[in-house]
Amino acid sequence: MTFPSLRHSFCAVLLSLFAGLAAAGEVRLGVLAWLGSEEAEVQWAPLAQALQQRLPGQSIVLRHYDLAGMAAALRAGELEFAVTNPGHYVTLEAETGLTRIATQVGETSQNPAHAVGSAVVVLDRRLDLQRLEDLRGGNLAAVAADAFGGYQLAWAELQRLGLAPEEGNPQPHFTGFPMSRVVDAVLAGEADAGVLRACLLERLEQSGAVAPGRLRVLAQRPADGPCRVTTRLYPGWAFAAAPATDPALSRQVLLALLSMPPDAGGLSWTVPADYHPVHELLRQLRIGPYAFLRETGWDSLWQRYWPWVAGLLMFLLAWGVYTLRVEHLVQRRTRELSSALAERHRLEAQVHAGQQQMDHLSRLSILGELAGTLAHELNQPLATMGNYARSLLRRQQSGTLAPEALTQAAEEIANESERAAGILAGIRAMSRKRSRVREVWDLAELVQAADRLLHGMAPRGPAIVLGELPAAAERQVEVDPLQIQQVLLNLFKNAWDAQQSLGCTTPIEVSLSLVGERCGVAVRDHGPGLTPELRARLFEPFFTTKPDGLGLGLSICKTIIEAHGGELQAWVPPSGPGLIFHFTLPRAPLAVPAPTGSESL
Amino acid sequence: MTTSPDLPVIHVVDDEAPFRRSLLFLLESVSWQAVGHESAEAFLESAPVFPPGGGCLVLDIRMPRVSGLELQRRLKASDTLAASQLPIIFMTGHGDVELAVQAMKDGAVDFLQKPFKDQQFLDTVERAVQLSLERHAASRRHQEAQDSLARLSAREREVARLLALGQANKEVARTLGISENTVHVHRQHVMEKTGTGSAAELARLILRADPAGLD
Repeated sequence: MTFPSLRHSFCAVLLSLFAGLAAAGEVRLGVLAWLGSEEAEVQWAPLAQALQQRLPGQSIVLRHYDLAGMAAALRAGELEFAVTNPGHYVTLEAETGLTRIATQVGETSQNPAHAVGSAVVVLDRRLDLQRLEDLRGGNLAAVAADAFGGYQLAWAELQRLGLAPEEGNPQPHFTGFPMSRVVDAVLAGEADAGVLRACLLERLEQSGAVAPGRLRVLAQRPADGPCRVTTRLYPGWAFAAAPATDPALSRQVLLALLSMPPDAGGLSWTVPADYHPVHELLRQLRIGPYAFLRETGWDSLWQRYWPWVAGLLMFLLAWGVYTLRVEHLVQRRTRELSSALAERHRLEAQVHAGQQQMDHLSRLSILGELAGTLAHELNQPLATMGNYARSLLRRQQSGTLAPEALTQAAEEIANESERAAGILAGIRAMSRKRSRVREVWDLAELVQAADRLLHGMAPRGPAIVLGELPAAAERQVEVDPLQIQQVLLNLFKNAWDAQQSLGCTTPIEVSLSLVGERCGVAVRDHGPGLTPELRARLFEPFFTTKPDGLGLGLSICKTIIEAHGGELQAWVPPSGPGLIFHFTLPRAPLAVPAPTGSESL
Repeated sequence: MTTSPDLPVIHVVDDEAPFRRSLLFLLESVSWQAVGHESAEAFLESAPVFPPGGGCLVLDIRMPRVSGLELQRRLKASDTLAASQLPIIFMTGHGDVELAVQAMKDGAVDFLQKPFKDQQFLDTVERAVQLSLERHAASRRHQEAQDSLARLSAREREVARLLALGQANKEVARTLGISENTVHVHRQHVMEKTGTGSAAELARLILRADPAGLD
């Protein structure tokens, strides 16, 4: 590919071009000097000449660059047009906005999209090399790493088959230009295979430089031209206009290019091809505009991605810290929870174990509440009996004892002793330690029994009136009768105390009602009532409004009622003074007749 | 029960019937006249008199509606009730010490904490009855003194007061701005009308009628 005959005339043109630098119609054409400046001059001068002939008003200036130099010149706006290989064109298109106006076609095919291809040749006698895959482990001669048709196309083909020349499989062996060196390397056995531009082998065979049949094209594929190829075919070199170039000028140049006949090498220009396959190729090889894809070195990655990496690290760090913290919290909470559960179980066990004692204690506490009244009530019959006895003695001694007086005194003494015994009998049952029981009882009967108990202890207690009553079948509750009587007794006592503070003798009203699946009991007094603040604290242990109260009565009542599955509350009556204590108890399943039992209390 | 006014009468007010009856039985055992009342109201309705033979009131301090203390207050406030001069003994329960103290401040003569011994009760009643008789006598003397002083004219009462304070006729004459002779005449009338023989006797009489009469 040398054009020595043209060198002379080219120099003349060049001189004339330099002379016209300052002219208004200067058109600067940059070409890729891939074999060096001198070769470029030789290769592209005919094109410049042909253009000059066809554009007489313009002065065509040819400039040659290496890959980076052309990009810099385009960015600086120093070129109107550029001619370069497909790979480089695609790179520049992306970098500088260069637009192709024509594509070179030639020997390979007249299809501009199939202008460039490669043949991978081996010595024909190497029978072990039949497929590209057979190059695995061998070495491959090529002109240069950045040669599009001379290396990159074959590289891509190998890569598609899973081979990786960049990792030495096969090991590339770059010979440098001219490409005949590749042929030499293969012929000499220095390389297992060589990469040649399509049609070079044919030309060498034609010229006699290589004996036909000496070299064989590996993995030959059908092509639409006369030459044997191994790789797919790609668009040819591009003739492109810089972004700032006048479209009218571009059009003139295009027309000139299209009108040019094929040159000595059979190359001509035609309508621009689709360079998309080139993009695909470069992306696959991660070169050109996609070179960044292969920048896997830590430094380059760090330079490019450090903010992301730093952000990611920060995030990971934060996430890690968060995870650790969550884990720590979860473990701590779990520990706390399990220790709390253990504590609860322990307490439950303790409470369960102490249930009997607590029942006993609660009964004693209620007795304590009643103790003051009780002492007074027991003192009365004792004092009465004492008075009668002493009186009888005095009369006996003074000889004034009449039979009627004796009868009267004896009767009174007998009555009073029975009364005292009744009071004691009432409390004995309550203070006795009992195991937990559940019996079906008529709630109204329990109210009456508690009433009798109260008046047995305190004959002067206020009347207790049983008002509203549901049907007997609906008043059956499953309870510990003594505990419920305790509660009733306590509520009666409270009601009585409240009324006494006002000197009020209105009967205490008790009413029963159905509340869903439960039976409710309301105990209403006509005492002074309570402020909302006091009412809110009513059921707290050790809270009391009585100067000598323990403050345990109501809290124990609440415990008892809740142990039965009911509720104890204090209400303000809808009208009038006083307070209503209301509790509910679950109703017993129907058709279980109450055992006769109130007598046993 | 009918009672003789010439003998002391013991009133027992307690709402607890068996106990009240036992106290009456005890009092009768030692020959006191005793009357039971089931409440303070019942006692007031019986319109009791202050018997010439004396007596006392035994009150339960805690009673429904009108308590013993309230009855004491009503009696003290009244100057028409003849029973207002009856000495009061309170019966208290355990823990009623504060009430008992209040009752004593209000003029009760004694209190008994239940349970009490029969002898203790009877002794207390005895002292109260004695006191009632003394009060009765004092009351009678007071009334008599007032009656005799009421017979004096205004000028004579003036002269009597100065004499009772120990002034001689001459001083009295100077104080009142009258002649010594006139003072002498008034003095004679005062002595005659009150039946007293000396200034000291006159002073006792005036104080009996009015403890603040010589201030």
